[in-house]
Amino acid sequence: MKKKDLRFYLRIYFKILAQDLKSKMSYRADFIISTIGMIFTNIAGFVSFWIIFRNFPSINGWSYYEMLFLYGFSLIALTPVQCLFDNNWNLRIAVYSGDFIKYCFRPVNLFFYYQSEVFDIKGLGQLAFGIGTLAYSWHHLGLGFDILMLLKLIVFLISASVVMVALQNAAAATCFWIQNSFYVLDLVTRFKDYAKYPITIFSPVFRFIFTFIMPIAFIAYYPSLVILRPDNIEILSLFSPVIAVVFFWISYKIWMHGALRYNGTGS
Amino acid sequence: MSAIIEIKDLTKEFKVLERREGLKGSLQDLFSRNYKTVRAVDNVSMTIEQGEIVGYLGPNGAGKSTTIKMMTGVLEPTSGTILTNGIVPYKNRSKNAQEIGVVFGQRTQLWWALPLVESFKILKDIYQINDKDYNDMLDLYRSLVDIDPLLHKTVRQMSLGQRTLSDILAAFLHNPKIVFLDEPTIGLDVAMKANIRKLIHALNKEKNTTVILTTHDMGDVDALCQRTVIIDKGKMLYDNDIEQLKKFFGSYRILKVRPTGELETQAESIKNELEGFSVRIMDDWISILVDEEKAGVMDVLGRLQRSYKIKDMQLEEISTEEVIKKIYEGGVN
Repeated sequence: MKKKDLRFYLRIYFKILAQDLKSKMSYRADFIISTIGMIFTNIAGFVSFWIIFRNFPSINGWSYYEMLFLYGFSLIALTPVQCLFDNNWNLRIAVYSGDFIKYCFRPVNLFFYYQSEVFDIKGLGQLAFGIGTLAYSWHHLGLGFDILMLLKLIVFLISASVVMVALQNAAAATCFWIQNSFYVLDLVTRFKDYAKYPITIFSPVFRFIFTFIMPIAFIAYYPSLVILRPDNIEILSLFSPVIAVVFFWISYKIWMHGALRYNGTGS
Repeated sequence: MSAIIEIKDLTKEFKVLERREGLKGSLQDLFSRNYKTVRAVDNVSMTIEQGEIVGYLGPNGAGKSTTIKMMTGVLEPTSGTILTNGIVPYKNRSKNAQEIGVVFGQRTQLWWALPLVESFKILKDIYQINDKDYNDMLDLYRSLVDIDPLLHKTVRQMSLGQRTLSDILAAFLHNPKIVFLDEPTIGLDVAMKANIRKLIHALNKEKNTTVILTTHDMGDVDALCQRTVIIDKGKMLYDNDIEQLKKFFGSYRILKVRPTGELETQAESIKNELEGFSVRIMDDWISILVDEEKAGVMDVLGRLQRSYKIKDMQLEEISTEEVIKKIYEGGVN
């Protein structure tokens, strides 16, 4: 038996992904309707954002375009969690019904095997929206563009995504211990909506919570500071890649710990 | 032959919350909890050789699934040891998984939305099966069952029987050393049951795969197993040749009759008439356990017909539950 390296996992991942896409495309009506739904969700989000800013030219020193930047940044950062880790939403049901046990019999990493099963293509629409919004605000802010900026953008976008993935993993994993974990997952998802606002508009208590307890400030605010306000970067911004990795590692450990102590229902 | 599974003094205990009754009880449960320890598996030992088909029997809740979960590495034993292929399953889950195949009742492990052949291809990558072995296996499958119509059907569209068949094929695909089948024929019709038994038998013969089969269906055991292990309330009751068991129980049959008149008084009088037989009332029938070595079923029926007017009769083979009851009463070993 060969060693299971990254290539092994990537190969399986893309094979499952390709098959999943194929089967999703075959339900054409379903595919079209969900894509349209996603577009409208994004338009609605954008319109409400726009309406607020017709009335308030700036929020706590943050201009319209800067806010738009945060908005676009968070949309892009939330794409991976939507596309690649959507199966977290089904975890509770799989655990409760006992179906989760089927993932325990394969000679591959349990977390990987579980998450690989679902790829949510709707997230790609969100990605397109996010890129559009980001490019538009980028242009209006006159930020300029070079390779270093792009590199920074990519690194900090990835860290932001990883934070969100970590949050969702940890929230989903609560189902291994408690029955009604839906509310935990739902709570985290609702809180992520606050991610697109600059953390400085919140009271100190919430600032602390959003930074250290439920670190949604790392989804858009801290990472995008690096690009938006390069002269005045908070130390936490620079550390956000490290923090992202640490959060992810912790959430992975929690998830796996729950999964390994899982022993199914009777049959 | 060499031992593939070695189980020694295996015990698994669960802590179960003792719930109090009523609303007041539920509120009390919030603050103080009473846990009770339940032994799901109690001091079980057995050795299974490569290539054996072992029927693992017992009523619901006997501890069958718990034992299997420990053998597959999903559960950690409370005490005692298990070695499968010479490794401890719980500590080397992934390594153990490479060498086993599992089918758990009606829960499919295949990808719901994919055609079977695509599931096979993904499994081929997961288990790192080389092209030759993979194609050989498919050829073998083709020679045993008509799989071509199944290959391009998605699992979602399959009937229960086809799905079970597919799951069994998937479990054998990577040529594992041990395959665990948990009630593979549950809910299937007679023809499909026969198909599946034939398939399991052929794969066992062809690949010398060890098969651990849990079932409630004595028919499965009859058709497949050389050896049976019976477990009840976590304790092992019986571990021996199926022939031994059959010698003992093969001669037993259950004669059920429904005479005219009041059931209870008739049963009482039949009990007096047929001395030495176990006579009971079961669901509107008077059931008589007949040991054919002592008296033929037809003789017993004839005797009854002389004194009673029989409206209806049934003849039944002895069931797992009946076997276990007999073992409790003492007899086989």
